[in-house]
Amino acid sequence: MSKIKLFIRQSWLLIVSSFFFGLLLAIADAAWTPRIRHNKSEKLNTLMSALLADAEGFQLAAHLRIDSPYAKTIETDIYKAIADAGQTVGWAFNASGFGFADKIEIVVAVDKDFTKITGFDVLSSNETPGFGDRIKSPYYRNQFAGVPADLLRLKRTGDPQTIDSDIIAITGATISSQAVVSIINSTLPSVKTQMRQKELIDNEN
Amino acid sequence: MKTNAQTSVSICKQTLLAGLWRENPVFRLLLGMCPTLAVTAAVKPALTMGLCVIFVLLCSNIVVSLMRHLLKPHLRILMFTLTIATFVTIADLFLQAYFPTMSETLGPYVPLIIVNCIIICRAEACASKNGLAVSIIDALSMGAGFTLALCILASIREILSTGALWEIKIMPDIFTPWTAMRMPVGAFITLGLLLALVNAITVRKPKSAAQ
Repeated sequence: MSKIKLFIRQSWLLIVSSFFFGLLLAIADAAWTPRIRHNKSEKLNTLMSALLADAEGFQLAAHLRIDSPYAKTIETDIYKAIADAGQTVGWAFNASGFGFADKIEIVVAVDKDFTKITGFDVLSSNETPGFGDRIKSPYYRNQFAGVPADLLRLKRTGDPQTIDSDIIAITGATISSQAVVSIINSTLPSVKTQMRQKELIDNEN
Repeated sequence: MKTNAQTSVSICKQTLLAGLWRENPVFRLLLGMCPTLAVTAAVKPALTMGLCVIFVLLCSNIVVSLMRHLLKPHLRILMFTLTIATFVTIADLFLQAYFPTMSETLGPYVPLIIVNCIIICRAEACASKNGLAVSIIDALSMGAGFTLALCILASIREILSTGALWEIKIMPDIFTPWTAMRMPVGAFITLGLLLALVNAITVRKPKSAAQ
């Protein structure tokens, strides 16, 4: 009995304040979580709209799990881009993988038949300023606009203006450049296959 | 009674000035070096970090000062950490909700305020021994000193690395940006030079006073 008394006498303040601080955190979380979620989806929407210019709205079409050879299972949300008249103009999905410094999260946009990539953009990354963070630069990103939606290759040298499966690496940031190519390579084919299985896109292509 | 009031006023005055210069957390005590080096590539993130630290420092000093008579010596660090972690999480959520871009720029450094030595040092050295008023003044003064130091460092780095201050271009077109200043090496060099400058000033002061 005296042990319990001692225990309570020593730790009552800790227990009471844990409850109090927990309550404080719960209030803050409840108050701001909707806003935080809204911010995230807003950012995703802005990036997707920039990648798929014809799209008027986006609709969550599927939630897929992909077994990636580079990382653990990647979970991705597939969004259907819908134009004014209601027809599908393309698809966008998010994907992630390891970069040079930290996880890189990107959103990839493809055309309505999954034949061509229309582009990608970075949702979040923590690459080295001046080097790795140039994966956000037009020099690198423009190389993806219009390439066949299939496996990509990273090359050290070449003409970045040519739109084909060869992506030219950023000088001084080969690892970051490779990371984006790997993320797309590890997700895009599986997304395509799973979309066909679900009959969300035509099987002919 | 009068002398009591006078001493408490002078204590407040001393505490207020301590954080800004005599015991400046960055330049004199060399505390909180992680955010000092990591978020000072530009002024905006540095100022945001400074404001976050002021908020956390103020709240934790108030709470610790209020519960100072109830603290058990061997559980005090646990209580400090619990208090600090709560307010840091609130600050982090607030940034995510209202300044999402800034929250992204600062990345993991906002949650890392939990282990910022300045805050735990002020809880231990000041708030757990002093009353509410002194603790509040101490938090504001230390926080302001930290923010000021961060902003000085960030201004130098931002001007040299981008030719701009607060994202407004101020350097002439012929200026070549020093990209290295944006990277960790720039932070270390700038901080080293600033510390040398502060040391040079403080070493000279007593001499001139003696003469």
